[in-house]
Amino acid sequence: MSNSKAAKDIMIGIFEYPHVPYWFTISQAIRIVKVSFISTKKYPDPLAILVFDEKYNLMGTLTLKDILRGLEPRFLKPSEKAQVPVEDESALSLIWDTLFEKGSKEFAERPVSEIMTPAKYFVEPTDPLTKAAYLMLHHDLILLPVLENKKKFVGLVRMIEIFDSISDAILKE
Amino acid sequence: MGIQIMELIDREDHQKLYFQLYEILRKKIEGNEWPICSQIPTEEDLCRMFNVSRATVRTAVMELVRQGYLKRQQGKGTFIFRNIGSEGLTMLTSLQEILFEKGFQVTTIVLERSVMMPIGDLDLKLRVPKDKHIIYIKRLRLIDNEPVLLQESYVPYNICPLLLEEDVENQLLFDIFEKKYGMKITRVENHIEIAYITSDEARIIGLAEGSPAILLNQYFYSGEALVMYTRSIKRTDRFKFLINLERKAA
Repeated sequence: MSNSKAAKDIMIGIFEYPHVPYWFTISQAIRIVKVSFISTKKYPDPLAILVFDEKYNLMGTLTLKDILRGLEPRFLKPSEKAQVPVEDESALSLIWDTLFEKGSKEFAERPVSEIMTPAKYFVEPTDPLTKAAYLMLHHDLILLPVLENKKKFVGLVRMIEIFDSISDAILKE
Repeated sequence: MGIQIMELIDREDHQKLYFQLYEILRKKIEGNEWPICSQIPTEEDLCRMFNVSRATVRTAVMELVRQGYLKRQQGKGTFIFRNIGSEGLTMLTSLQEILFEKGFQVTTIVLERSVMMPIGDLDLKLRVPKDKHIIYIKRLRLIDNEPVLLQESYVPYNICPLLLEEDVENQLLFDIFEKKYGMKITRVENHIEIAYITSDEARIIGLAEGSPAILLNQYFYSGEALVMYTRSIKRTDRFKFLINLERKAA
């Protein structure tokens, strides 16, 4: 497509999101969600926390789903997107009746690095927007980090800006 | 306060107007022309007296506040707080203490440098809202290759964003603030207590969990602004404290 925009044209600043080191516990992350989003009624799209290593390199993102999965031991098993028919939901109630009961408090004391979504893909500021779109769609990402020279974390690409730019181009054409 | 203007701004001077005004006001404070506890003229008066804009006055006054000469009191005005820039008693003792014993080889390992949100009571300690980013630096100091001090420093991100790019292995944060960013540390508040170290601290500092250690909590101020909080765990067998009280000549 004839969209000449680059990642740097649509990225947002990294300080739009809370930052935490990898060793923060899940319960500390929960408090941050409460303070940064819920009590202030600020709901950025997407709602996430950025997780960093000891040298301030981005390690991953933490969403509300990641946190809830991390609190429930049975959710920790990797979810397979298996092509199976939808199960009878009444049988599943056996599972959800006991969800978040046993062990959740102890699990909340584990580090966020165990439950975050690792940041594996990134773009450079000068990479075309279409590359960012491809990576986000292909890998089902909620945020795509923008790294300068593969190292310095300078911004984040979100789906809303990708959608906006691509749809503008489509409507024009 | 009488309005007697001896020195005026020189518009031909290459120095910026606010800096010239700052120098003039500083001399008035240091020379006791404006005594301690007295109120300085209002911004409007200063604009008229020196024929400069409000922005110039504000910048010069803010700099004097930052350096601890002036103190602002909401709704009342700005007052002379002290007539020397800094170097109070606490400053001297804390610097002597930070600079370690002479003759030993001191090395620093940066264990972590990152950004976090205030957890626990960090927001209260740093006087920042709970949703503000904080720079976190964790360093281990070794004397003759033996770990003796574990130091965690917290700086509100907006105070000094470039701290993330500075060499914090070979420089004191104190020096970085003062020499590179012109942010003079005017007061250091020290809280000393004995603490029992956690398993993580024990592993890093090379002692058994639960061993007693000296816990030093320090609050660094630049004027009225709190710019850094530092928590240091020191081995009790490697540190002595010197508190040197000195009476200033009248």
